[in-house]
Amino acid sequence: MKIVVCVKQVPDTEAEKRLLPDTLTVDRESSNPVLNEMDEFAIEEALKLTEAHGGEVVVLTMGPDGADAAVRKALSMGAHSGILLSDPALAGSDAVATSYAIAQALGTTEYDLVILGSEASDARTSLVPAMLAERLGLPQLTFASKVEIDGTSITVNRLTDYGHDVVQAQLPAVVSVVEKINEPRYPSFKGIMAAKKKPVAALDVAAAGIDAALVGQAAAATTVVDAAQRPPRSAGVKVTDEGDGGVKLAEFLSAQKFI
Amino acid sequence: MSFVEPEERVALRQAVRDLAKRYGPDYVRRQAKAGLKSTELWDEVGRAGYLGVSLPEEHGGGGGGIADLAAVGEELARAGCPLLLIVVSPAICGTIISRFGTEAQKQKWLPGIADGSFKMAFGITEPDAGSNSHNITTTVRRDGDEWVLTGQKVFISGVDESDAVLVVARTKDAATGNLKPALMVVPTDAPGFTKTMIEMEIAGPEKQFQLFFDDVRLPADALIGDEDAGLLQLFAGLNPERIMAAAFAVGTAKYALDRAAEYAKTRTVWRDRPIGTHQGVAHPLAQAAIHVELAKVMTQKAAWLYDSGDDFGAGEAANMAKFAAADAAVEAVDQAIQTHGGNGLATEYGLAPLLAATRVTRIAPVSREMILNFIAQHTLGLPKSY
Repeated sequence: MKIVVCVKQVPDTEAEKRLLPDTLTVDRESSNPVLNEMDEFAIEEALKLTEAHGGEVVVLTMGPDGADAAVRKALSMGAHSGILLSDPALAGSDAVATSYAIAQALGTTEYDLVILGSEASDARTSLVPAMLAERLGLPQLTFASKVEIDGTSITVNRLTDYGHDVVQAQLPAVVSVVEKINEPRYPSFKGIMAAKKKPVAALDVAAAGIDAALVGQAAAATTVVDAAQRPPRSAGVKVTDEGDGGVKLAEFLSAQKFI
Repeated sequence: MSFVEPEERVALRQAVRDLAKRYGPDYVRRQAKAGLKSTELWDEVGRAGYLGVSLPEEHGGGGGGIADLAAVGEELARAGCPLLLIVVSPAICGTIISRFGTEAQKQKWLPGIADGSFKMAFGITEPDAGSNSHNITTTVRRDGDEWVLTGQKVFISGVDESDAVLVVARTKDAATGNLKPALMVVPTDAPGFTKTMIEMEIAGPEKQFQLFFDDVRLPADALIGDEDAGLLQLFAGLNPERIMAAAFAVGTAKYALDRAAEYAKTRTVWRDRPIGTHQGVAHPLAQAAIHVELAKVMTQKAAWLYDSGDDFGAGEAANMAKFAAADAAVEAVDQAIQTHGGNGLATEYGLAPLLAATRVTRIAPVSREMILNFIAQHTLGLPKSY
């Protein structure tokens, strides 16, 4: 089985993110680039599946120069090879264009399964997995908290507000995973040493068969019109318990329509 | 030697940081308070292969060097959750066995040391042989196919959580005169082996012990390497110890400076300006940061020399690095506490325990006075003073 894991390099999750004032895109210089945390769960799931069923894991990323660090991290965790899709024409692509570009890049390789993290910690749209499945014409099994493969059949627990649905499809398919699914491994020292020697194929828009007119900021279907700092958190309500703390708590929750 | 670390070591540091972040100082404090060890952290670091980075690949290690292991030790300390026994089990014992052990001994001990499932403490200091190792009196004699060990040791770290102790003894034939060390692997459950905990004012999960060997019988293969190999194989382990102690001090100093900078950026006393804007606060921290960085570069040099096979050059550099790192760590912790004012000694801020933890690095594993003696004699060519 061949699994492609799509990963994204994002600004450090814990750092405060800034937007560039002129383009309103993320200022990538303002913080350390890291592998999107949710993608580590996708990599872990792919590694576990290939450990159980055999096969290989290919990690694919689209990003600027330096995004290969995200691929190396995945390779150090145990993925077998990488694909780095990088081209100035892709800068500023929105989710629609990104799904198109990734779908085209996936056309350069074979796969039985595509796994993604269910969202990236920078934009947090959760759109790309579903759009990608649509572009590829494959079943989408999103927000998976459990994945099982039996022959060519794949079953996932799909996380919902009320618990989970059990969703089944035939491979090939596109899966996005949530944090509940596993505990990602740390790259071993041997993995780190081996990662450098693993093959990473470099693609530009031409090599991936991407129409440059359909990607990048100019082609974006959405536009960021304005951005503002989130206002500082305001002080909450403090209730001193004078024997009526329970009542006050219930009143508060009731006023907020929690109960 | 490059002043920029190879990308693999940068990745190793990041991986250790990511792992250690989940533990941090609260974990260590909680374990120590409950009388427990840093077992989960040790095991996880071991499983990821970080304890064994410097040991040979064919014996379960990572095939890297002491520079890699020092990076692991430094990052753990920087995250506020150092593992003292890294200095001992992989760095001293693992190195000595991998360099001087027989193939059978390597196969027997190294895989467990590398993945952390087997911990080996190290025993050299005796009540009358601290700085002067030539006064060691712990003796081992042959009895048929076996060895019999008698004597005692003091200030031995982590014996209660170790499976064995690598004991520096003398053979009966060389019981007096300059030390000709015989390095013996002594299981902690061997009959005749007893330990007494030494109460210390150092708050950490790792404890100190006095050890007694009362005719402890050991198998023939308990002797690591050659009884005639002399001091070389001992120093093969002691230089990594100094490098690791320096890395521990650097990491702890950086941890203290991180805390101090964080506090100085947020604490305001006058006119809504953080105290970090006051040069009386900022400059001493900046000065400490300079000393820490200098110590770190020296530590990297020592590790580089050691990994390149230059034992003598590494000895001088490791001594200098340990000396500089200890002083830098003491300075950084002192200034971090000063920055915090009263909070610096409040339990909540966790800085006060670092006073003892860093102060000890000026004493152990080799005192600053003995380092100065060494530098005076070997670097400056001055007459030996003792």
